[in-house]
Amino acid sequence: MTDEQKTESLEDFKNSFSYGPRSDLNFKFLKDFSTEDAGRFFQKLLWKLGDSLDDGDFDWIVEYIVEAQARGYAGSGRFVYEDSPFMPLKKPVSQLRLALISSSGHFVEGDDPKPFGVENMSQEEAENRITDFLRAEPQLSEIPIETPEDKLRVRHGGYDVRGVRVDPNVNFPVTRLRELQADGKVGEFFPIAYSFVGACSQIRLQKHTAPRWVSMFQTNKIDAVLLVPV
Amino acid sequence: MEESGIATVVIGSGIFHDRLAAMKLPRTVITHFPMGRPLGAPGDFETQREVILSALDLLENTNEGGIIRKIPARYYHRKYHRGN
Repeated sequence: MTDEQKTESLEDFKNSFSYGPRSDLNFKFLKDFSTEDAGRFFQKLLWKLGDSLDDGDFDWIVEYIVEAQARGYAGSGRFVYEDSPFMPLKKPVSQLRLALISSSGHFVEGDDPKPFGVENMSQEEAENRITDFLRAEPQLSEIPIETPEDKLRVRHGGYDVRGVRVDPNVNFPVTRLRELQADGKVGEFFPIAYSFVGACSQIRLQKHTAPRWVSMFQTNKIDAVLLVPV
Repeated sequence: MEESGIATVVIGSGIFHDRLAAMKLPRTVITHFPMGRPLGAPGDFETQREVILSALDLLENTNEGGIIRKIPARYYHRKYHRGN
């Protein structure tokens, strides 16, 4: 091995968090930082941790991560529209039939969508196959809202699922919506909630998949949909 | 979806603010929370409920599209995890 091969550059290091040897989906945005910005991110992180040793205040960490993620994902992206259709609500929320759809990657234990025909695909494998997912049409999982939380499974190669494994409601708020229905805040929470892996072919989603989902919502007389992009 | 007579509201994380704004969605609630956790921290049921109620309010009380409401709630799971 040459000296060159043994030396990891800061460029390699910051990129390694994005599906590389240090894959960490909370910090994959570092790949889109310049090496200078990535260097500053780590330097300031360590410096502020030093402050925290003395003042015991670690609350800034959340803000620090959110701000850095926001910088990493800044910019309009591929989908820019001048306008979009708008449907005013015809009745109050307390009388409507509301459905939930999230791009969280949830499914019910025993009803695995088996992406690419793979049985029991692990989270790690989903991350390794992210480029396959990004080319594929999404599969919609139907999840009865009475499903106990411990029967919910999640797998998604695009974001860190540790939080949602602790509490699905962080991006798939079935339990919260059931409570709101019980409190009379929502007329009817449609008994099937929907989830799919949002890291998918956005063109196929838009052109082929979403119109089918809309027809299904119409058939089920759903008045409104709560969408949670992850 | 709106073209088909179904009203929609989106709850998204502010880290995607620019992308969500560019789509000119009918109604969007934006939280200041990390990626993957747009409704709040695990176990922070109060904030999750508050975020949904804000989305439902937006659903009921907007008469035009392209509305983005930023929710000031803090992502704060520490107190909820203490003692668990």
